Amino acid sequence: MDFNFSEQQNMLRNEARRFLAKECPKSKVKELEKEQEGYDLQIWRDMADMGWMGLVLPEEYGGLNADFVDLVLLMEEMGRNILPGPFFSTVALCALPLLEYGNDVQKAEYLPQITRGEKIWTLAMTESSGDYRASALEAEAKLEAGEYVLSGDKSFVSYANVADHLLVVARTDKSKAPEKGLTFFTVDARKQGIHIETISTLTGEKQCKVSFKNVKIPRKDILGKVGQGWDIVEYIMRKATVLKCAEVSGACQAVLDMSNTYAKERIQFGKPIGSFQAIQHKLVDMLIDVEGLQYLVHQAAWLVSTGAPCDLQIAMTKVKANEVYRRIALSGVKIHGAIGFTMDHDIGLYYRRVLGAEFVLGDTDLHLDKVAANIGL
Amino acid sequence: MDFKLSEKEEALREEIRRFAKAEIPQDFINNFLDEESRDEDWAFTMSISKKLARKGWLVMAWPKKYGGQEASYFERMVLAMEATYWGIPGLGMGISGTAWVGPSLMLYGNEEQRQKYLPPIASGDPDGVWCTGYSEPNAGSDFANIQTRAAREGDEYIVNGQKVWTSCAHRARWCWLAVVTDPNAPKKQHGISLLIVDMKSPGITVRPLLSYSGVHIFNEVFFDNVRVPAANLVGVENRGWYQLMQSLAYERHSVGAQIYGAGKRMLESLVEYVAETKQDGVLLSQNPVIRHKLAERAIELETLKMLSYEITWKMSQGVVPIYEASRNKAYGDYIQEQMAYTGTEILGAYSQVDQNSKFVKLKGAIQHLYLLFPGITIAAGTDEIEKNIIGQFKLGLPKSY
Repeated sequence: MDFNFSEQQNMLRNEARRFLAKECPKSKVKELEKEQEGYDLQIWRDMADMGWMGLVLPEEYGGLNADFVDLVLLMEEMGRNILPGPFFSTVALCALPLLEYGNDVQKAEYLPQITRGEKIWTLAMTESSGDYRASALEAEAKLEAGEYVLSGDKSFVSYANVADHLLVVARTDKSKAPEKGLTFFTVDARKQGIHIETISTLTGEKQCKVSFKNVKIPRKDILGKVGQGWDIVEYIMRKATVLKCAEVSGACQAVLDMSNTYAKERIQFGKPIGSFQAIQHKLVDMLIDVEGLQYLVHQAAWLVSTGAPCDLQIAMTKVKANEVYRRIALSGVKIHGAIGFTMDHDIGLYYRRVLGAEFVLGDTDLHLDKVAANIGL
Repeated sequence: MDFKLSEKEEALREEIRRFAKAEIPQDFINNFLDEESRDEDWAFTMSISKKLARKGWLVMAWPKKYGGQEASYFERMVLAMEATYWGIPGLGMGISGTAWVGPSLMLYGNEEQRQKYLPPIASGDPDGVWCTGYSEPNAGSDFANIQTRAAREGDEYIVNGQKVWTSCAHRARWCWLAVVTDPNAPKKQHGISLLIVDMKSPGITVRPLLSYSGVHIFNEVFFDNVRVPAANLVGVENRGWYQLMQSLAYERHSVGAQIYGAGKRMLESLVEYVAETKQDGVLLSQNPVIRHKLAERAIELETLKMLSYEITWKMSQGVVPIYEASRNKAYGDYIQEQMAYTGTEILGAYSQVDQNSKFVKLKGAIQHLYLLFPGITIAAGTDEIEKNIIGQFKLGLPKSY
């Protein structure tokens, strides 16, 4: 048993914390919320230079070949600071499955571009229901004259507005059970027949509806094998869920730190409000939540990194992250009082982000079902 | 980063499982703390203490010269989890002796005291059963406000006063007693000492206090000119408060692991129960509301497991856990409450059935938890006190009381 991070991991955390605090202050976050692209190109390039995009990719693709836990720690820092942009969609949702399921040609072409920060990717999976179950996936790719023809709509595709490539999962065999007839494709986002429309969100984080109308995809752009799509979905869900939970965990730590500091500074009735038990015990509840979530995230990260089966622990972690983020963000606003309700203050940035994080990669109910199924129910 | 138990720790877990299968009757249900109430339960519990001592588990963390095995913090954690999971009674010997009297004597006692008092605890002997006299009618959460007075007269202290909520006083051979030795100290905390008191001393009266479920765990203990040899002072006179704070941390540190083990067992029995109980023609295990409630309980237990791992790991690194112990107790209290609610909701009408009734389900374990948990949230520091400790010592917030 060892709860310590390696020296290298501590260095990465410190580097990330310093860089993000300097280059992406909250004023920048608020600015990016209003902008159409939703990310800062200079920050993006700097992150690539520091090796973050290729952190866990092998050296042959320009990566640093670091452990999955390192990426988890990096996501924690991004969550703590808030970093708007397509890092999660490019790395967590696309680079990892490309590495696992891509053939040599695909890997050699796409991964170095990602590592160098030249290309942005995103995953086009969920449809109008926003549901992550296989039965909700209806977009169809039909084999016609040696190539696939893709039609259908994908919704809540993050940062498709700036993506160069899409990872699309579509139904290639309607006669099979929902989990059986799915196939993944790599698709150039500028192809004819693709229409991308931004869905305006509470956070200014870019979510898009992507419509495919008779988009032609050559067979070479299949990722993995035909009909293997659900395996890839599960692979993505497993790793990306841990990374999303790490981001939430970092955000929760930030809200606790901000609220605790404020409770010591804000004077009412002649005393810091943190001296009142109504406030102090709220902060303690937040701390217990934060630490519990953090250790569940680290356990899940470690299990993924060792390759041990951990669907139960991941589902537990996502439920915990969803519940804790809601509670903590609300407590954070309440402790700040009226100032916490304003655009001037930063605490509201976290409160608004709860909803985006909660529904991505499966909501609380979906993951509670997974937990139930894994404890013998 | 590594969250795996070692092979040695896993082997211990397996050995405890074998011990439980061999020594604990199938129909036995370990009603935590209730064993102090009825003579036959107490006799069975003490017989298991003896066997645990022979296995080297009763005080596994102690030095070998005092009857221990010098086991690691993680081995102790595994024992705490597995013993409650399998319902093995007898590790507490009335709680005090194994958990904090022994460790405190090793920290603050003199060699003569260690030689005299540690071996009976380590061997599971009835003379190793202790009670602890901390709380008084006007000193609950405000513990420094104790009034029980010990006045020095030659080679003796003369003790007068009253303790309350004293678990196991009716079974104990010794009392670990907090007294005022300097009533004029500028701060109350500077006038408190710890004494070892023979429960057979003239002038001691033990009066039972039944819990609302009719169980005899607590007592009032009255001291009327009780003569205690001065040699029974533990550590330094008037330094008792500081010695006590350490012992309270000992009391709390394994609480998380104990609640985890017991909770895991209860969750498993509820999962089995809903898989064979139908409502409106459908198995309860197919009811989404029930599924989600049990899933939530599983997540809480997993969280408590990680918090228990963390405190154990910190201790193994030489950290004295202050806020961590309070955190684990506060969170453990909360999840026991949740488990009791979910359990009683699942049992429905049967949740009101007495444990001894032939109509009882799941051996009455759910009802027992429902009756027990409010007491557990108060014992060894209320939730509110735990949260004050965390607020002050971890979050650096001002003292709030």
